[in-house]
Amino acid sequence: MRLRNDLEESWRIALDALRANKARGALTTLGIVIGIVAVSLTMTAANGLQTAFRNSFSAVGTDVIYVSRFPWIVMNDFFIYRNRPPLEIRDAEKLAEKLRGRAIVNPSMNTQQDLKYRSETMPDVIIIGTTDRQIVMSDAKPEFGHFITDFDVFSKRFVCVIGPDVRKALFGDVDPINKEIKIGRYAFRIIGVMEKRGGGFGGGPSFDREIYVPLTSYVKAFGGNRGRRDVNIAVKAPSQEAMADLEFEVTGAMRQIRGLRPVEKDDFSINKLDTLVGTFNNIMGVVLLVGLMVTGISLFVGGVGVMNIMFVSVTERTREIGIRKAIGAKPHSILSQFLFEAAAICVGGGLVGVVIAAGLTAVINKLMMPASLSVGITVLALAVAAGTGVVAGFMPALRGARLNPVEALRYE
Amino acid sequence: MSGTNGNGSGSTLQLRDVVKTYVMGDDTVHALRGVSLEIKRNEYVAVMGPSGSGKSTLMNVIGCLDTPTSGTYSLEGQMVADMSEYQLADIRNQRIGFVFQTFNLIPRTTVFHNVELPMIYAGVGKGERRSRAENAIERVGLKDRMKHKPNELSGGQRQRVAIARALVCNPSIILADEPTGNLDSKTGDEIMTILDELHKGGQTIILVTHEDYIAEHAHRVVRLRDGHIESDTPTRRVSAG
Repeated sequence: MRLRNDLEESWRIALDALRANKARGALTTLGIVIGIVAVSLTMTAANGLQTAFRNSFSAVGTDVIYVSRFPWIVMNDFFIYRNRPPLEIRDAEKLAEKLRGRAIVNPSMNTQQDLKYRSETMPDVIIIGTTDRQIVMSDAKPEFGHFITDFDVFSKRFVCVIGPDVRKALFGDVDPINKEIKIGRYAFRIIGVMEKRGGGFGGGPSFDREIYVPLTSYVKAFGGNRGRRDVNIAVKAPSQEAMADLEFEVTGAMRQIRGLRPVEKDDFSINKLDTLVGTFNNIMGVVLLVGLMVTGISLFVGGVGVMNIMFVSVTERTREIGIRKAIGAKPHSILSQFLFEAAAICVGGGLVGVVIAAGLTAVINKLMMPASLSVGITVLALAVAAGTGVVAGFMPALRGARLNPVEALRYE
Repeated sequence: MSGTNGNGSGSTLQLRDVVKTYVMGDDTVHALRGVSLEIKRNEYVAVMGPSGSGKSTLMNVIGCLDTPTSGTYSLEGQMVADMSEYQLADIRNQRIGFVFQTFNLIPRTTVFHNVELPMIYAGVGKGERRSRAENAIERVGLKDRMKHKPNELSGGQRQRVAIARALVCNPSIILADEPTGNLDSKTGDEIMTILDELHKGGQTIILVTHEDYIAEHAHRVVRLRDGHIESDTPTRRVSAG
């Protein structure tokens, strides 16, 4: 009952104090408002980037291992990898042989070419030479027509499957199936249009701008594996759980295929979406941390403002503290009274800050990138605000709680 | 005149050789130099003395706002001298009702809440708080001022609120420190009438004053000088009565 009474009384005093000093409370709160807006926007931005990133790569598939000449993320100096011999279609075929019945293997090559259809052009489109097995590597499906078949690959047909953005740019509303477009200098007949996947994170290439052609015709048109282009080998695991074993097996098989002696290092790289996501998350973690530190400073400054005003408040009410002590208030009652006041200022500021942050987030969402103020961030921001209040209020409150009642009563 | 109480001694409070010294900068101030005093239940005592005589210090010690440097103080059989701050707060809350010269109400807070406040710190539930506070306010004749704030009241009314607040926890003693000092004589008389009535109702009252006519309301006058008790005599009222 005492605790409940203390809390009720503290709450009442806090509200009274704020009501009595509206302008002062508002100005003090402003510091917290700015701090909370900054902190929650930082978290929102980091969340937004992460969402955008995840959307971009959701179509790649997390149960696929990619064997390439270079790692996706170069941690060391690039020249270490430069002297690696290129991966060839032959390597992919040998790997497929070794993994037969346990995993699906698909070689692919890519380049960038300009597209042309009648008077419409589209520069620097990613052309992927691949096989019919490409389609099982991810969730991507053709929306119209069909994907490349093994017969297309076998007979080196000049056919292609285009991304929805390519279709939109070159054909508008016209049905593109069976139309011929020029990829570089070669004419390809369109046999399918992929469904929309999104992507294009951070201005990077979008999946929707890609074109698939049979690997054999790709080699014919744009240079074979003897050229400067490498083959990427995708290996799809039968399940997510089998990924670790498969990675081990693929590494062993590739070393055999490449004729590496035990002392030699791998001359190829195993890439997974996991590592990419992991690296991205690490980077985002650092960005978020730095962001929070910088914005945290503004919250800290706000907190110092609150502490300052709480010292004023305690001094102003020295006599009142004396009265309360004389009629039986214990130190913790006085402490909680001032902590509540500080917390009320800060939570009030936090609420206003969250509302402003929500507004700004909506604007960002509309103009810049996918962003949303999650419930988690809101709760966290309010908790941080309340915490700031308690921390900032503690020293002043303690001073009040420790006042000698005789001296406090004598204070004018 | 002397009542009996539970512990059989009949005394509400007992001070023995109480010394209180303060250190102010380089000076040591001897506010009390060995005061022994016993006050029985339902006594009505006036403490008098010139300023600097140690009245206020004595009141602070009796009121448990301050602890003696040496000597003992027992309140209703409980030794107060070496109590913790928390225990002292409980004593102030339960056993002592303060009435100050400057009223010392909490500003911006209604009469009702001011009176209710000691019970909040005592941990009394809402319903009981309400009825007891209303009772106490009625007793000092301010039933129609319940929702007013101190700055909307006259000095006399404020002091009545303070008395209601002092009463509300049924204390062993009411300590009134120059309760009429800030009031005109007519209002002062009204306040003294209330105190007299409380005394008649069985309350122990200790009154600090330097007005003889106020002291005459009491039954016993303790005069202090330079930290000593100079005299301790019954008033005419008792001799006559």
